[in-house]
Amino acid sequence: MSEKDTSSVNAPDAALEWAKLWQTMAESSNRIVEAWSGSMAPFVLARLSERPGGFGDGNEISAAIERMAQGPRLADVWDIDRKMALAFGAWIEMRQRLASYSAVASAPWAEASKRFLAAMSATGAGPAPDSNWRETFAKWSEISNEELIRNQRTDSFLQAQKELLQAGLQLRSRQDDVAEAVAAMLGQPTRKDFDEVTRQLTELRREVRALERLVQAQNPDPRHAERAE
Amino acid sequence: MSNQENKASRFVRDMAANTEKMLRATELIARTRDEDVNIGTTPKRLVMRRDKVELFHYEPMAEATARTPVLLAYGLIGRYTMADLQPDRSLVRSLLSKGLDLWLIDWGQPGRTERWLTIDDYVDDYIDAAVDRIRRDTGHDRVTLLGICEGGVFTTCYAALHPEKVQNLVLTITPIDFHADVKDEAAHHGFLNIWTRSLDPEDIDKLVDTYGVLPGEFMSSVFSMMTPMRSLTKYNVDLIDVVDDEAKFMNFLRMEKWLADRPHHPGEAAKQWLKELYQENRLVHGNFVLSGRSVDLGSITAPVLNVFALDDHIIPPDCSRTLGAKIGSNDYTEIPLPGGHVGLFVSSKSQGKLSQSIADWLLARDATFASKA
Repeated sequence: MSEKDTSSVNAPDAALEWAKLWQTMAESSNRIVEAWSGSMAPFVLARLSERPGGFGDGNEISAAIERMAQGPRLADVWDIDRKMALAFGAWIEMRQRLASYSAVASAPWAEASKRFLAAMSATGAGPAPDSNWRETFAKWSEISNEELIRNQRTDSFLQAQKELLQAGLQLRSRQDDVAEAVAAMLGQPTRKDFDEVTRQLTELRREVRALERLVQAQNPDPRHAERAE
Repeated sequence: MSNQENKASRFVRDMAANTEKMLRATELIARTRDEDVNIGTTPKRLVMRRDKVELFHYEPMAEATARTPVLLAYGLIGRYTMADLQPDRSLVRSLLSKGLDLWLIDWGQPGRTERWLTIDDYVDDYIDAAVDRIRRDTGHDRVTLLGICEGGVFTTCYAALHPEKVQNLVLTITPIDFHADVKDEAAHHGFLNIWTRSLDPEDIDKLVDTYGVLPGEFMSSVFSMMTPMRSLTKYNVDLIDVVDDEAKFMNFLRMEKWLADRPHHPGEAAKQWLKELYQENRLVHGNFVLSGRSVDLGSITAPVLNVFALDDHIIPPDCSRTLGAKIGSNDYTEIPLPGGHVGLFVSSKSQGKLSQSIADWLLARDATFASKA
């Protein structure tokens, strides 16, 4: 069998090896994360970004819930249920925006794969990996990085991300509404109460410090002025 | 065996070896405790506390060469520990070893309690209080300000609003023209500018009103997006490069610790930062207002040193360069250095260049000041 023929037969094997090794790498990464959970995890885990999950469906559902929840209000009767329905509607909306974002964000991988295969073919390596794994990976990484960055600067990506952010904030805001209602029912101070207290505290500090500066301004040598610290 | 089979075989062997290295990295990480990874260790003394903000004075490491005390101010995105990551990669330590009298303002860990703080508070209250305290403790009428990134914007504003208290202004990786990223053709530069402009002002309001802050985790995810493949590979493939070298491995962990220590940005100050500066570009247009006064860059009369990184993907160089044409001072020096936003401070290649540039420039000004005195 000629070398050309061997190459065509071995290519799927090499691809299979590649897939297996990537799986091993992924498993190793998981083990690393597990190990970190006992040591460096408190801050590392906090930094893991939320991974996009499945594809939500149900724009109509969220719209219907919205209409129901925004319907005539009967004083405070069913107010919690109304708020929870709104939060659920916002969750559905957020899932849908997440799906749209995931679709836009994953688009460059196909282009990166195409470019990578072309680059490998151009070097004469064909679809099989080159002998130097790190060089091959570096090429893949470089191409992928370029494509991901190119995609991030497109209007469609920025728009999808903005809509996801808006939906996420709407969900969080409606969850806060539920929490506020529950806290109010239990006679507990709410987050809005906390914000109001800190606002007053901040303004009070500013007033005190403005007065302090006024007093200092009357001191001829500011280098010797004492501040309340 | 054919040539192609040899390649595939070598490839598989390489991968097996690398997988083994990753397993060793796992064991190494499992053995390393949080307290083993120390950053910001250069000795310093707490001088003043104001709310959550603390003023520190670093212990001298060499005979004094510069007369004027230097106040280092980092931004609210990230922490000052980037300037003191580890003993052999520390701007702080390097400046101290050159005989500078170094002070540090640490913003602490702002949370929802700091929601209502504005940049006005940071510039006209916290920095002003720190400057006054240094003036009082040292007997100097003026101090030198050394600002990093957002801290550079704060110190720039301070120098414009309180020129009588500023001896020199040293800026590093500081954005002045927030729209100058459009001049930069490098595709990986300026995503933060583009991303912020893509948002509606109401989105920023809602983000801050919902969380009370600009969440640190949120900004971390935006920064991760700016180096996408690096973010995907650093906990797996990249570990292969450091696992055999304990020093490199610890460098990696220290860097991770700094990256993870990203405090929340106070809410109202974040609105100013993102809307008034990133979106509306008010600082360079002269309509950025703090405490009822417009920040006029032309009012900066102190000598200015502006250092920026040529491959800064977060603050494109052109965003920093603009300052020279806007200030009132005739003594303006620009030093472009190779490297990136963080690399300028922590990479082994850049060690010494930044601190030497700053020290040389400052000592020249301090000598001038001394002779005049």
